[in-house]
Amino acid sequence: MKIKIKCFSQVKYAFGKDELKMELEAGTSTSELEKLIRAKAKGKLDDISLRVAVNQKYLPNEIELKDGDEVAFIPPVQGG
Amino acid sequence: MNTFTLKKNMIITPKELQKWINEGNDFTVIDVRPENQRNEFPMDGLDTIMSENGPIPNIEGLKVLVCQFGIVTEGMIIEQNLTDTFSLLGGAQAWNEFQSKMEDLSQWSRQTVLPEIGLNGQKRIMDATIAIIGMGGLGCPVAQSLVTAGIGKLILVDGDIVELSNLHRQPLHGIDDVGTKKVQSAEKSLEKINSDTAIEIIDGYLDESNGLDIIQKSDVVIDATDNIKTRQLIDQFSKESNIPMIYGGLFRWEGQVAVLNVNGSPGYSDLFPDSPSGGDTCADAGVLGMLPGIIGNIQALEAIKLIVDIKPNLVGRLLIYDGKSHQTEIIEIG
Repeated sequence: MKIKIKCFSQVKYAFGKDELKMELEAGTSTSELEKLIRAKAKGKLDDISLRVAVNQKYLPNEIELKDGDEVAFIPPVQGG
Repeated sequence: MNTFTLKKNMIITPKELQKWINEGNDFTVIDVRPENQRNEFPMDGLDTIMSENGPIPNIEGLKVLVCQFGIVTEGMIIEQNLTDTFSLLGGAQAWNEFQSKMEDLSQWSRQTVLPEIGLNGQKRIMDATIAIIGMGGLGCPVAQSLVTAGIGKLILVDGDIVELSNLHRQPLHGIDDVGTKKVQSAEKSLEKINSDTAIEIIDGYLDESNGLDIIQKSDVVIDATDNIKTRQLIDQFSKESNIPMIYGGLFRWEGQVAVLNVNGSPGYSDLFPDSPSGGDTCADAGVLGMLPGIIGNIQALEAIKLIVDIKPNLVGRLLIYDGKSHQTEIIEIG
């Protein structure tokens, strides 16, 4: 299945892109995808908390992703 | 005469007009409104002549033009190149309010003309107290815009002093303020904008000992801090006192805003639970001054919308703005 990943703040800097497109095995969960993303970032996201939103909604629990889902990884930002 | 000079000279406020009347000055009031508008807001206690269409009659002496909100008449003076003629600021709406309550709201006529604001909304704004935690990159534009809008009272909380490296993003502080307290420097600038806003300054940081007291005195608390620990404290006291919190945060080109803890709506702990880590401060990660200007103004806008009760708003939603692409994402928190 095809998934679109929207990157914000440090995630954007880790990949140098606003968006990633990934081909995943059917049934991949949000937390499995987060592990994949962290591995792909090669350590650049190791100290960063990430919230996951699917199709512009925060999720209370992990879910299985579906084809065409848009997943956002959102770090907290400190600056003010 | 250039347009600016003309514009400056052609405005009269309800308060000034009342003074003319009291002093027995000789002038003619010309009402340019159609009948339906005149019926909606009759000009209380003032003799007027009607001039609904076409050019303003050529009458000797000073003339005051009246329309519904004071906008049409300003245009007429410029277009018809009228001399000895004034436009009543805020129009019949502001005049009648002044007559009934002796309160001159004409300074805010360009926002009271908005149907969603009106005079009642402006009064709510003028009765509201807002606490701003942090008087840096976000706090400066938030305070500036709220004072400009006529907010009743601000409580400014910051223990920091102004540094040279702050000036590029903190427009309430100037070069002569370097080394002085941020809250004092901000107060000085804000008083020049609108001295009717009451300003309480707290020269210190929000912590466990003072947080609840500060937030309980406010109608809304603005999070303009630069660290997650203080955000969590604001969240805790905001929940405890049921006072809404408007969160703002920045990382380089990106900003986040959310309106939290409105009658049990999600809070900062729902946005980023536990003890989240990540994200340097603006001082560490770098930022252009416009970005906190934009994000701070979105926070101020949401504060006004909460006070006046204007929807839709960002309650329970996280707005993420990217200053490079100008893309905006809105995420439902829960």
